[in-house]
Amino acid sequence: MKTLTTASGPATTLHPVTFEVLKNAFATSVDLMSEQILRTCYSFVIYSRDFSSALCDKYGNTVMQGSGDIAVHVGTLHFQCKAVLEEFGNDINPGDVFAINDPYRGGTHMNDVSFIRPIFVEDEIIGFAQNKGHWADIGGNVPGSFDVNAREHFSEGLRITPVRVWRAGEFLHDVAQLLVSNTRAPAQALGDLNAQSEATAVCEREILRLVDKYSKDTVLTAMQETQDYVNRTVLGSLAGLPHGEWETVDYLDADPAHGEGLVPIRIKLRLDGEGIHYDLTGSAPAVSTFLNSGYGTTHSAIYAGTKTFFPEVPLNSGFYAAVTADIGEEGTVVNAGWPNAVTGFCSGPYEKVMNGIFELWSRIMPERAMACAFNLEYLLVGGHDGRTDDQQYFMWYDWMAGGWGGRATKDGSSATSPVFGTGLAVQPVEGQERLNPILTTSHAINTDSGGPGRFRGGCGVEKGGVLTDAVKTVMSYCCDRGRSVTWGIEGGLPSYPHGVWLNKGTEDEKYLGATFSNVPIESGDAFTRPSAGGGGFGDPLEREPEAVLEDVIDQYVSVRRAERDYGVVITVIDAELDEYEIDAEATEKARAEIRSKRAGWLDADPEAVAEQYRKGELDVHDVLRRYGVILDWGTGELFPDTTAEYRRMMAKRSATHWTS
Amino acid sequence: MTDLRVAVDVGGTFTDVCIFDDADKTMRVTKVPSTPDDPMRAVIGGVERGEIDLNNVSLFSHGTTVATNALITRRFPKAALVTTKGFRDVIEIRDGTKDELWDAYKDVSGPYIRRRDRFEVTERVDYSGRVVETLNEDEARELARLLKKRGTTTVAVCFINAFANAENEVRMREILQEEMPEAAVSTSAEILPEIFEHDRFNTTVSNAVLGPLVAGYVERLDNQLKDDGYDGDLLLLHSGGGSMTPAMVKRFPVRLAASGIAAGAIAAKHVAEQCGYDNAVGLDMGGTSTDISLIADGELRVTKEWEVEYGHPIVFPSIEVLTIGAGGGSLAHIDIAGSLRNGPQSAGADPGPACYDQGGTEPTNTDANLLLGRLGTDLASGAMTLRRDLAEKAVVETIAEPLGLEPAEAAESIIDVANANMADAVRLVSIRRGLDPRDFALLAFGGAGALHGAEVARELGIPTVVVPPNPGVTSALGCLLVDIQHDLSTMYTAVASTADSDDLEQQFAALESTAAERLRHEGVAEADTELKRGISMRYQGQWRSLQVPMGTGPDALTEAVRTFHEEHERQFAFRQDDNPVEIYQLHLKALGKTPKPAFTPAAADGSALPDPVERREVYFDGQWHDTPVYDRDALRPEMELAGPAIINQLDSTTVVPPSTTAVIDEWLNIRIHLSASEGDEK
Repeated sequence: MKTLTTASGPATTLHPVTFEVLKNAFATSVDLMSEQILRTCYSFVIYSRDFSSALCDKYGNTVMQGSGDIAVHVGTLHFQCKAVLEEFGNDINPGDVFAINDPYRGGTHMNDVSFIRPIFVEDEIIGFAQNKGHWADIGGNVPGSFDVNAREHFSEGLRITPVRVWRAGEFLHDVAQLLVSNTRAPAQALGDLNAQSEATAVCEREILRLVDKYSKDTVLTAMQETQDYVNRTVLGSLAGLPHGEWETVDYLDADPAHGEGLVPIRIKLRLDGEGIHYDLTGSAPAVSTFLNSGYGTTHSAIYAGTKTFFPEVPLNSGFYAAVTADIGEEGTVVNAGWPNAVTGFCSGPYEKVMNGIFELWSRIMPERAMACAFNLEYLLVGGHDGRTDDQQYFMWYDWMAGGWGGRATKDGSSATSPVFGTGLAVQPVEGQERLNPILTTSHAINTDSGGPGRFRGGCGVEKGGVLTDAVKTVMSYCCDRGRSVTWGIEGGLPSYPHGVWLNKGTEDEKYLGATFSNVPIESGDAFTRPSAGGGGFGDPLEREPEAVLEDVIDQYVSVRRAERDYGVVITVIDAELDEYEIDAEATEKARAEIRSKRAGWLDADPEAVAEQYRKGELDVHDVLRRYGVILDWGTGELFPDTTAEYRRMMAKRSATHWTS
Repeated sequence: MTDLRVAVDVGGTFTDVCIFDDADKTMRVTKVPSTPDDPMRAVIGGVERGEIDLNNVSLFSHGTTVATNALITRRFPKAALVTTKGFRDVIEIRDGTKDELWDAYKDVSGPYIRRRDRFEVTERVDYSGRVVETLNEDEARELARLLKKRGTTTVAVCFINAFANAENEVRMREILQEEMPEAAVSTSAEILPEIFEHDRFNTTVSNAVLGPLVAGYVERLDNQLKDDGYDGDLLLLHSGGGSMTPAMVKRFPVRLAASGIAAGAIAAKHVAEQCGYDNAVGLDMGGTSTDISLIADGELRVTKEWEVEYGHPIVFPSIEVLTIGAGGGSLAHIDIAGSLRNGPQSAGADPGPACYDQGGTEPTNTDANLLLGRLGTDLASGAMTLRRDLAEKAVVETIAEPLGLEPAEAAESIIDVANANMADAVRLVSIRRGLDPRDFALLAFGGAGALHGAEVARELGIPTVVVPPNPGVTSALGCLLVDIQHDLSTMYTAVASTADSDDLEQQFAALESTAAERLRHEGVAEADTELKRGISMRYQGQWRSLQVPMGTGPDALTEAVRTFHEEHERQFAFRQDDNPVEIYQLHLKALGKTPKPAFTPAAADGSALPDPVERREVYFDGQWHDTPVYDRDALRPEMELAGPAIINQLDSTTVVPPSTTAVIDEWLNIRIHLSASEGDEK
């Protein structure tokens, strides 16, 4: 590591105190925006912390991004500020405020609307204050604007190219009206519009205070040096790391337009002493669902994934300058381009890119290694509430916590918010039951959902419910990883597939899969779905039997899976009193047997495996973890191409690391 | 004669004792080292050190960290959770969020009760309180027998929607009590009858795991004090800024969590009141951290969103305090990109600052203050001598040389960064409430607050700083000033415009009768009882509710709705008069008034400012100043001294920077006025 204790003289042209104070003051000016928006927002999604704030310099580069910002917005705010600059050039005046959500101009999805206010000292722009928040609705085909079936952005809601909403302090009522009238809740949208604009004014006031105290030139210098500082920090942190090139591939489940077969996202990483370089070329063409990503979000995934390995480094354009990326030509799943639908990027490429980056950095910084974390999943049930006289419209939006990957020194974190936004809170069941005619039957950790490994993946969750008094109701699911199942590394095993079950265990049982839209359901119907656990880290046969025993006592792992996944044979003495015993001899035997057979399992005839599954002789865990076979988990139908690809993936991530 | 009031506040390092003598209206303080293995030893030790005859004590109040420490160390008795089938993991799933957003190796700590000790029974109540499934009594009884067999001594019963109908929970408790009468049982609807399962479950679980331990501690202390002659009720400070007696601690031990933090804020409020400030910021700066509290319109901010550890909410009203990692022991360092940083890492008690000569080599704020001459080398009247040479070595090697600065310049840089960080924290707390710190006074206390207070105020544009007489033991003072207090609530949903006022009145009456019963149980006389109604409301369709005061009489609700609109606009920047207002919760704050110490103002005796005890060179704004050092005990009301000056006392040092004026007021507070030009800085 580079050490600076021998360096002479300060690293900045400003006095060290002035620099440190201004750098921290920029952070505060941005966090003040966050406090203000939390206090004044209308949208419940913004209130659940789906927002971000940034101070940009006069060129649109980010000087500081909020410390509590949602990961998914990271590194998109400078794109949007630059879009405003490109669009309006010299026609930007004191008292102006601009709006933008355009995913083809570096935005995320339509719901995320940014407000950008230039900060002037006399007639000179010195920077921009920006707040971006997720509006509860932005129009389009479905309430909430998550149209799983969308192929083009026209059905996803209102696209806002850079537009002026205040001119020289005058509120442009007509423009604002146009924006909010294209949403399902105009009053609420107008409230958020005002709140976000006012938040940017809070940042402006703070920056002008600093100008007053330290002078314009000092503040301008500090804005640049704060970016240089972050850049130096990243480059300094790279100093001890090897140079070289690493690559990996992760997958979406499928492109429905092309039948079965995984959809690859390829990620290369190069370290050359000058910075961190990514290359996503060779990734698949855009898919026919809304699980695509625009260039803004793909960059966000790259920055957020990288930042996970540099958690202390503040976020600004100095970071973005140290991290470069070639995301390839437009028209791919990671660079979708107009007019491809992109709202589902959050369950699509976003977390694939992040997890792929986790895997690459795990090789470079083994002490911070982590296997694949579960993927954001988002279930939407909408219809009419029979409990009310006028059968009001209800919309049950639900996202779950899940498991993160096993790590180099410890198990993965269980039941945790998605990497997409670790501050995004799951909703309380009791609140949901008041607002929607759905009785939740279970919200519990899913036994055996963590990917087996020397360090187990964190456990996922299972949530089920039954419709009580619903009329004309449909269900949609924005998810993935029903087939491209959350994977282990360094010999670790996969966790568990996503997918919704209707009336599981009854005659009407139906598996709906991990992405579907507008499935009609009615009162009395029960549904349930798991969130995946994290992938395992390291060979599960090397896990300490005592650790497996502890997992069994807590029922994170069943006695059966302890034997089948870990080769640890546990004798139940008295389960009620937590009395179990490891059968050392049987364990040794079981482990030897698995060791000798497991390579062969990955070559077993997949159709024969599918047949055994259909007959009930093998369960999902066996099919997936032992045989690497991917099925329609409802019918047991084999996906041969998917299986072949998944097995290749498992051979690399799991089998090559097994000692025999 | 029972004319003493005694408050004992246990901190991490010291146990502070505050003694107020009603006879001559004087207060004295003393300190003994804390005894974490058995905190009671230090309490009794402090009583002895203070030469207190417990026969003469009319009121004994106590702030304790017993509950907080037990939660952090997870040293609990054998506990179990019994919950609705399908919901065993509510306290482990939580809301899923992480405190450390970016560090994938820093996890939220585990639940207070492990999964193996969480059990389910068949029962279900829906959102409206309708019993969907009655408790399966066979299962319940079998479970109760199993818990007994497992040696469980305390049980939390938490059923889904029990706030709407507690029938099944109550039955479960009965069965547990029949089968295992020795065990303590906490039910969620009794502990916190509020919606949202994780908040309610975790609060109940916290109560259950703390029960035997905290109640045991309190009982032992109570008995000891009684044996030694104290004849009144032991009052225990709780997080809500009130106190409770041992009888109530048995039922609500969780309320003692964060007991000490509230004490400092209460003392800050007291000092602000004395000085006539409606708006004030409390800056309680200790060795490792600073607690910031806010008094607006004469009231401390109260929050229900708090926890001892992230992810484990305790949803009782609590005085809002923001803690940041800036203290006397915070370490300054140069980071990888060459920038000067301060904190949040701290040298702690071991090794402590470099000048303590206990092996510390990195410079702390204490070292920088010593090097600058702001802090003297004698600490606590000679109890400890600080090594200025070691402080200088640390500052030079770690900061001055790498940055190419003179030692004093480097030390001042360290302090400037620390002060700016504290100022930023105050800005954040203020904006969170829509307030401007420039309208506030700054109350500086804690061991290090008065060293930094004036410069933090300057950074914030705050015109006045107040340093109370015993800044180092202010928390103990807070303990002296509290009433017995209970906070009750109940869910109640109705549209305000069509709400049935008779029914509403009955609900409040029911809360009041419960509260009155609790206060009676604690021996509060009817005349000393005060009940305050509150009501939480929200705009229909909103997720965020707001509590406003509620009066009595026919117009009470209309009044409350009017206040709600006004308060909503003040706090959240908008109001919606056309949107229906929905009632959400009813609250009752029940106070049992305790007599307060009658502080009397000290008279000015017209004497001249005493001579300084010494003069030394102190560094301010880039240069050394010949600076007088005064003994605080010699300063009398109306004395005025111009900065630069240093004021020394046993537990603290006050810095009066150049271009400021310090005046001693009739309560013996030091009030530092920053010069007008700086105070007006906008």
